[in-house]
Amino acid sequence: MSALAHKIESRGLPTTVVGLVRLHLETVRPPRALWTPFQLGRPFGEPSDADFQRRVVTAALRLLERNDGPTLLEDYGEDAPSMVDRPGWRPALSLPPVSATAGSAPADWSTRLAAELALVRPQWEAAKASTGRTTVGVCGLPPEAWPAFVGECLAGRLPAGPEPWKHSTALALRFVSDDIKALYGEAAQHGVPLPSSRQLDTWFWTQTTAGALLKAVRTMAMASENNALKTVGSRYFVPTPYLGS
Amino acid sequence: MARIEDIPEPTRTNVLALECPTYEHRPWVAGPPLAERRVAIVTSAALHDRREAPFQPGSAEYRELSGSLTSGDILMSHVSINFDRTGFQRDLNVVYPIDRLRELAAQGVIGSVADTHFAVMGSTDPNVMEETADAIAARLKRDRVDAVLFSPV
Repeated sequence: MSALAHKIESRGLPTTVVGLVRLHLETVRPPRALWTPFQLGRPFGEPSDADFQRRVVTAALRLLERNDGPTLLEDYGEDAPSMVDRPGWRPALSLPPVSATAGSAPADWSTRLAAELALVRPQWEAAKASTGRTTVGVCGLPPEAWPAFVGECLAGRLPAGPEPWKHSTALALRFVSDDIKALYGEAAQHGVPLPSSRQLDTWFWTQTTAGALLKAVRTMAMASENNALKTVGSRYFVPTPYLGS
Repeated sequence: MARIEDIPEPTRTNVLALECPTYEHRPWVAGPPLAERRVAIVTSAALHDRREAPFQPGSAEYRELSGSLTSGDILMSHVSINFDRTGFQRDLNVVYPIDRLRELAAQGVIGSVADTHFAVMGSTDPNVMEETADAIAARLKRDRVDAVLFSPV
């Protein structure tokens, strides 16, 4: 972002950057930058807190009124409350314990994911109806098609991504993974106080069949002879903190 | 949490090892008071209209985010798994503060909000984005934008 801001300012437009990694701002030195001490992925700090976000946006925009350039780097001084765990937080839905997963056949995984999705989807549908929004939809398959697609991959077949994008198996699988996590994340957050991302991630990766399934898919991908699948499995599937859980 | 010591490994090492470009030229473009500025967002979160194809990893393309898009129209297809998405799931504005800009315009803090905003894939090498920068800059000028807010993930 800092580099692109430099390029855009070089083309005659005033820019201001919000940056999450101070070292990168110090290195690139875009014309105006506000370092925010928030979590990667949350540049404006706190979800569902318009006042908080407005303060961050305003602080970044106010740099445009300064005349002491050509490089400004300011630190934002307010932490986001949800960076720390919310005591006693529970997801908005309860699921049965994840049963033993070692050695499950691909068809078994499909069946178990379909069964869990049947429990999660009503809460997700309620969230979607309430907010008028969902971040599910990147993969191009409806949720009812996810179990079969993932089962095909686990069985060693290489199904193409759906129409009209027809991505490679590796990229389609990556997007299915994103959509599964999004559906569960939206369902678990709906109607309950804002948790930390760590609480939500821990729940997904350690207490859901979907999380266990995605770890199994990662293992399959890394053992595949398909290099794209190997890459997706090793780098773009399961966050490192949850690989061993 | 983006204090470097709080970022979990191996993301921390990868973040520190990321090769960033440096520049000798220091551009600086002045402008009118904030209350008279027209503001656009450029985000590296790989956001796009859900009717469009997802971003490809390594893509140097840009996408237009029309001001007419609703929050339900916007998806994220960034390749990285090393940043939080649960905040975005809950609230678009924690990544793409379009509603905050509209509120600031209504309050008179800024002059107006651009008709169109832009998204790129943040993990793409910026050295291959010269044409993208040309295109985005041209579009911003056509929309009479004189303040660009860059947002990472």
